[in-house]
Amino acid sequence: MQEKQAVLSELENAVKDFDREAAVEAARKALKIGMDPIEAIEKGLTKGLREVGSLFGKGELFITHLIAAAETMSSAIKVIEPEILARKAKRKVLGRVVIGTVAGDIHDIGKNLVSCLLTAAGFEVHDVGKDIPTEKFIEKAKEVEANVIGASALMTVTTPAQKELADAITKSGLKAKLVYIVGGAAVTPQWAEEIGAAYAPDANSAVKVIKSLMEIRK
Amino acid sequence: MTVMVGLRNLKPIEVLNKDALSNIHLNSLELLEKMGVKVYSKEALTILEESGADVDRKKQMAKIPPYLVEEALRKAPKSFKLCARNPKNDVKLDGKHICCGLDGTGLSTIDLETGERRPSTKDDVAKSALIIDALKGADLYFPSVTPLDFPKHAHVLHEYDATVNNTEKHFMSGGTYLPEEAIYLIKMAVAVAGGLKELRERPILSAVACMMSPLILPLAETDAMLEFSKQGIPVVAMTMPLTGATGPITLAGSVLIGNAQILGINTVIQMKYPGTPLIYSSFPLSMEVRTGAFAVSFPEATMVAVGHIQMARNYGLPNFGGGNISSAKIPDEQAAYEKALCGLMCMLAGGDICGTIGLLENYTVLSYEQLLIDYEMYDMMLRLVQGIDVNEDTLALDTIYKVGPEGHFLAEKHTLDHTKDVWIPMLADPSPYGTWKDKGAKSVVDVAKEKAKEIIATHKPAPLDRDMKKRLAEIIKEGEKGIPH
Repeated sequence: MQEKQAVLSELENAVKDFDREAAVEAARKALKIGMDPIEAIEKGLTKGLREVGSLFGKGELFITHLIAAAETMSSAIKVIEPEILARKAKRKVLGRVVIGTVAGDIHDIGKNLVSCLLTAAGFEVHDVGKDIPTEKFIEKAKEVEANVIGASALMTVTTPAQKELADAITKSGLKAKLVYIVGGAAVTPQWAEEIGAAYAPDANSAVKVIKSLMEIRK
Repeated sequence: MTVMVGLRNLKPIEVLNKDALSNIHLNSLELLEKMGVKVYSKEALTILEESGADVDRKKQMAKIPPYLVEEALRKAPKSFKLCARNPKNDVKLDGKHICCGLDGTGLSTIDLETGERRPSTKDDVAKSALIIDALKGADLYFPSVTPLDFPKHAHVLHEYDATVNNTEKHFMSGGTYLPEEAIYLIKMAVAVAGGLKELRERPILSAVACMMSPLILPLAETDAMLEFSKQGIPVVAMTMPLTGATGPITLAGSVLIGNAQILGINTVIQMKYPGTPLIYSSFPLSMEVRTGAFAVSFPEATMVAVGHIQMARNYGLPNFGGGNISSAKIPDEQAAYEKALCGLMCMLAGGDICGTIGLLENYTVLSYEQLLIDYEMYDMMLRLVQGIDVNEDTLALDTIYKVGPEGHFLAEKHTLDHTKDVWIPMLADPSPYGTWKDKGAKSVVDVAKEKAKEIIATHKPAPLDRDMKKRLAEIIKEGEKGIPH
């Protein structure tokens, strides 16, 4: 029992210290002592992340800290994930998000920011990367039973891919099951409306918009 | 908000080359020797005469030989501190550090509640001093406005009273127009410092004396300056040539005439009270040749101020000139671009006291919103003049290798370690249109208004004890009787 508590503290502190190596180490320990992987995430990693998030909310920590904490947590989850699958367990998350930069576009820093903030907010984020063809978004969304698809485009010439994705979502029958949100420097609210997608002007509002749209869907 | 340490790492820009510097210096000496200065103060005439100047008492003219002027320059200290009631707020003037000053002394205030312009009050002095106390990188208080709701002949005393009750920072008195004002002001500062010896050791007070162009050492200001110098209180010798009117229309001529004036007053001060800390100060004005209107921050005025900053640096005298100044009537775009250009030029040129925050319409109108906007500009400029620090840590090579061509730096330890070094605005909003609109589509003036209100409502300065307040009130009462009016 004491050992378990110690490992949970290590997981929590690794996130609070933004220490990825320590987080991976603690995750391995958790598996070794046979800890429930869901508990390791919820009572260890998430607890640390929540604390960082609250300091961020008060302005005492910056966005770089929040992202570092989220990335630290993700590194640990990568270690724990196989065990979750093996036990056929499910994490309690706000929602599952598939996110990527559309085909033809390799600008991904904004998309990365959104990924990190969604993770920090309690979403399970599947970041498919950059220059991602439409089918890949659809495929992944089906695989993880996504509630949200996020597609980013920085260049005007790549925004048509966001429309292509919107059409593909409709065609594949996913439209009723998920929130489709677009963003990126080349995207205007008018464009989003035209293609029938939600829109957020920056990473912080993306989290807010997704949360409120999911609430409406419930 | 981040407050940068006021350190200049960039090499100051030069508007005068070596020949020009020496040309202006030598011609200043020649003007003082051949034409001389008009000296309205009897005491100053006596000091100059006894030191070896050629004095004509009837004409009130003094011709000062170059050796005297140069001797006086050698006696002036090259570096000193402006002390604060709380020593943690002391300011060092040493040519490397930059500190944030204000200008004054205005007569009107743009009311924070109504937005209307009205005569300024003691409450405005108190509130602007309180804001200065709250702003970490604001180093001293200079009364932005004068209290028109109190007897005018004792305005300096009320300005100081409102200041010490609201900030622990250094007080730089604006215009002192009579030696008696200086005497009572010093009395108040002695009370606050805990004695004359304590005040001399740690001057929590400095005082501006404005000379008159062309080449006049006025009576009251000069005598007041001598009173301050007698007690070792730092004096700010200010020149304000108006190009084309009280100074030549050409930049070099106005730099020359202002420089000669400051060398003249420095000679009076240093010959009588050697070692008096003296700040070389310049707030020139440009004449708008179409109408005769004047402007503190048109290019000619800015360049004369910058020329004076360079002259001061060349003499090794601490300087105070130019800064975030404007002839705009409201905190608008004109105010923003004039203040930014003049302020940055002066800081780049090597200004010691920069900032000059808070006023509009040629130092006559206080705007609380502008005070905060100016402070933000000043804070931004401090970051700019820090330059680029290049070393193993700042090159971040290890991190660059670690991240590789396709990663990102957001969550790297190196990023986190240096987050604290990054400039953070107090007012500016970098968010995109949609987010900004959701937050109320506020202009920077709206944001500054809210911030000013917030500071006034929440900031609590260290209070003076009750006996001290009583003592100061007594001195003010004596002063209101004792100062000629």
